[in-house]
Amino acid sequence: MRWLYTLPMRMRSLFRRVQVEQDLHDEIQFHIDELASRYIARGLTPDDARRAALRDTHSIEALKDRCRDTRRIGWIEDAIRDVGYTVRTLRRNPTFAAVTILTLALGIGANTAIFTLVNAVRTDALPYEDPDQLVELWGNVLGTRVERRGAAYPDFLDWRARSRSFEEIAAFDPQMTTLMGIDWPERISAEFVSASYFSLLKINPTRGRTFLPEEDLVSNPAAVVVMSDILWRRRFGADPNIVGKTIGLRGGPFTAYIVVGVMPYGFRGLTDNAELWVPFALWGDPTVMASRTVRGFGALARLKRGMSMETAQREMDGISLQLQTENPSTNTARGVTVSPLDVELVGPLRPILRILMGAVGLVFLIACVNVTNLLIARTEARRTEIAIRTALGAGRARLLRQFLTESCVLTSMGGVLGLAVAGGLARTLMAWSPVTFPTFVAPDLDWRVATFTILASLISGILVGVGFGLQTAKHGGHDSLNQTVKGIRGPAAQRRRKALIVVEISLAVVLLSAAGLMVRSVRSLARLHPGFNPDHVLTLHVSRQTALPGNPTSVDGPPSRSVVEGRVLLEQIRGLPGVVAASISDDVPLDGRQARNFYAVDGPPVTDAQSRPSAYLHRVSPQFFNTLQIPIIRGRTFNDSEAASTSRAVVVSENLVRQFWPDVDPIGKRLKLGSLTSDTRWLSIVGVVGEVKYRRLRQNQDPYPDIYIPFLDRNAQVAIAVRTTLPPASLTGSIRGALRDADPSIAVYGVALMEELISVQMSGLRFVMWLISFFAGMALLLALIGIYGVISYMVHERTREIGIRMALGAKRSTIMASILRQSVILTGVGIGIGLIGASAVGRFFQQGLVLFGASSIDATTLSCVALLFAVAATLASGVAAGRVTTIDPTIALRCE
Amino acid sequence: MSKPRDLVQGTLDLLILKILALEPLNGWDIGLRLTQVSDDVLQVSDGSLYPALHKLEQDGLIAGEWRASENNRRAKSYSLTRLGRKHLQKEAANWERISGAISRVLTLKEV
Repeated sequence: MRWLYTLPMRMRSLFRRVQVEQDLHDEIQFHIDELASRYIARGLTPDDARRAALRDTHSIEALKDRCRDTRRIGWIEDAIRDVGYTVRTLRRNPTFAAVTILTLALGIGANTAIFTLVNAVRTDALPYEDPDQLVELWGNVLGTRVERRGAAYPDFLDWRARSRSFEEIAAFDPQMTTLMGIDWPERISAEFVSASYFSLLKINPTRGRTFLPEEDLVSNPAAVVVMSDILWRRRFGADPNIVGKTIGLRGGPFTAYIVVGVMPYGFRGLTDNAELWVPFALWGDPTVMASRTVRGFGALARLKRGMSMETAQREMDGISLQLQTENPSTNTARGVTVSPLDVELVGPLRPILRILMGAVGLVFLIACVNVTNLLIARTEARRTEIAIRTALGAGRARLLRQFLTESCVLTSMGGVLGLAVAGGLARTLMAWSPVTFPTFVAPDLDWRVATFTILASLISGILVGVGFGLQTAKHGGHDSLNQTVKGIRGPAAQRRRKALIVVEISLAVVLLSAAGLMVRSVRSLARLHPGFNPDHVLTLHVSRQTALPGNPTSVDGPPSRSVVEGRVLLEQIRGLPGVVAASISDDVPLDGRQARNFYAVDGPPVTDAQSRPSAYLHRVSPQFFNTLQIPIIRGRTFNDSEAASTSRAVVVSENLVRQFWPDVDPIGKRLKLGSLTSDTRWLSIVGVVGEVKYRRLRQNQDPYPDIYIPFLDRNAQVAIAVRTTLPPASLTGSIRGALRDADPSIAVYGVALMEELISVQMSGLRFVMWLISFFAGMALLLALIGIYGVISYMVHERTREIGIRMALGAKRSTIMASILRQSVILTGVGIGIGLIGASAVGRFFQQGLVLFGASSIDATTLSCVALLFAVAATLASGVAAGRVTTIDPTIALRCE
Repeated sequence: MSKPRDLVQGTLDLLILKILALEPLNGWDIGLRLTQVSDDVLQVSDGSLYPALHKLEQDGLIAGEWRASENNRRAKSYSLTRLGRKHLQKEAANWERISGAISRVLTLKEV
């Protein structure tokens, strides 16, 4: 309780100093006056009385001092004084201050940026209440390490009924669907969800309500939807009466759905992408929903309070066993994995971020050490100051405290600057990252980040200050001038500094080489030919009404029989000015789809009976190869008569021909889809085309070949490729318009320039390249600063010796040469070690498949780096050694 | 046992607290009162008194208040706080115990 009384006093002593001093003065003055009155009462004159009083009192200033000493805020006052002194010192050396603060800002800022990201993906960053209780349930196959298969609906219902570990379970599955009945149809992302989904996530709608349990029954599903805020604003103009209105969706048993609610802004469902939610009961037709073999969705669950994940997993394993016994034909070896939600959503990001933190932490340490070296180098110039302070009675502890304050001031300023930079840095990293961050990840500078920055600044301050202070105040006891600086000059300290510089140089060389390797990789990848000409090509996907046999006319759109044909769409597009060629197919290169099929060849039997050959199958219109400019090596493409379901024409890619008919003309040879015993037709080859990088730019050595068959226009979704003379982006509008004219019920989506798709392929590699280049740049900067510091210190230290030599007739250039020789040795050793390290890193990159098109020990890169570094280091040393030219021998001789 | 200097310092604090327990006084008057009450035995110099007063004030045992004195001059008058009163009781009891013990030792009959 004592502090209740003492704290106000301390505050007063600190902040109302003037008043406090005045009080003290008045109090003593009163005492003296009273004493004087006494003397006057005894008969002295006022003057004599005054003099007598003063004589009787202790020296007033000393008395005041003793009273001041009781104030117990000495250490605060000392600290404030130290800080003021530091600021003045720094102002006298602005370049030094700027360089140091910038170095620290870089180090602290980079660390804070990464930490911001680490913080943003921690468990409670998830935008749901009590996220540590949320888990996902995925059906799997026991005993294999295959990817998850998902659940079957009857299994899901059993899980829900039988488990006791969860408060609620909800099924969810993302799907694309087409929104109808508005200006133009649009493909949107939706999620099929159980009615309990929203209450499970504890998110309430801003308008209306979410699904009722009775709307989510397979026996009687309701045609209702819940809308996202984004969709509501974008397509429905934020209509305040949206609840209760009807919208149209294509596919499924209903075409018209009632909107029952709108979710809050920013909620995009678990898949982070959804604009609409539909009851899960509509996920498939009743047969599918009753089947235990159709598996394909995951479930979300909330653990009961106090329930652990392990207990829940054990219970689910038990339930799986029960289901196995009850349904041996469908559920044998089928189990359930319970996995925490945060791992599902952000798990893959965490190890990457941890590695980044490690790397950036290393750079931070180097920055601190560098600053220490800088401070030491500067101490030489402050010898006089230290000597005077020591003479005035500053003990070793006091000096240490001063240095500590200095480093703390520097690091806190660096920290503030770093914090300012960190936010922008984190956002840039997120924007450039090839791995998409979920939208809820926001690199906010919250209290955790601020605390981290403060800690980082403090630690660096202590590291630097202690390291520096220990070096300077080594020989304590009797702090004579010589003793104080002996610590800085000692041979052991010199060696330590030189070793540190060599380490910095090697590290910079390693990072620079790594960056060089990455640059080459990216350029090789960019030069890679994708097998077609992506220049001036636009690709897009179209979703149309299909005529389902027996279905009545739908609410909107033309009568069912006249589904617009692909041929008609193509004609519309070809009629546009600026269009050179257009083709239609079920997929286009780099659109992310893959469908592999087995095939069998009529000819030499497959040598390896185990592995049946498979290839990627594409259905394309005859102009496909021409539009994409895929080279036709032999034969021809399809002609119009072959674009029918009875056609037997097939075009294959080079690798297939090379595998089976390496020396013979393949035209006319036959193959069929499936196996030799399937009842598919035999197809005969009419043409051979070059290999295309269909799925990814960087492919395995032996990719599967491609088989092309004529496009049959059976699917609702098709892909269209368009080659243009004008810039393709300018034609997007007219192409959309042309398609809509042909059929207003069409939804156009996935519009992309082929060039963009290709550059997206390289984004991962490019990101790594930029990151490593950034670190390399920092390391280079630090190393150069370090070299500069060491050399200029060397010059300063040997001023007297230089003076003597010059007085004895040595030329300045000779002396500079001898100093530079030292620097060259240091740099040489550093580069040598660095090159060895670089080869090791190169090999590591190669194994990690990060490299592309460059060998691990790339002579060009390494020699370039070595040269670059040598030049830069020489420049830095040269500037530092240039001080030699300013030394006046007469002054140098007197210096010690 | 504490060092002799601490004993003296601590004793001065105790005396000041006791005097202020009777009525609030300014520094000058405290010195005067002390001399009066002890029949001139205890005389405290200003060099000890004022630092002691300030220390007691910083520790929260006494509180200072500025008043006008008889001659209308500005004088700082101290009074006992509740914390100070408790401290006084404790220290006074302590003093009784110690001084009693010292007396007993000193009045041992020489053999």
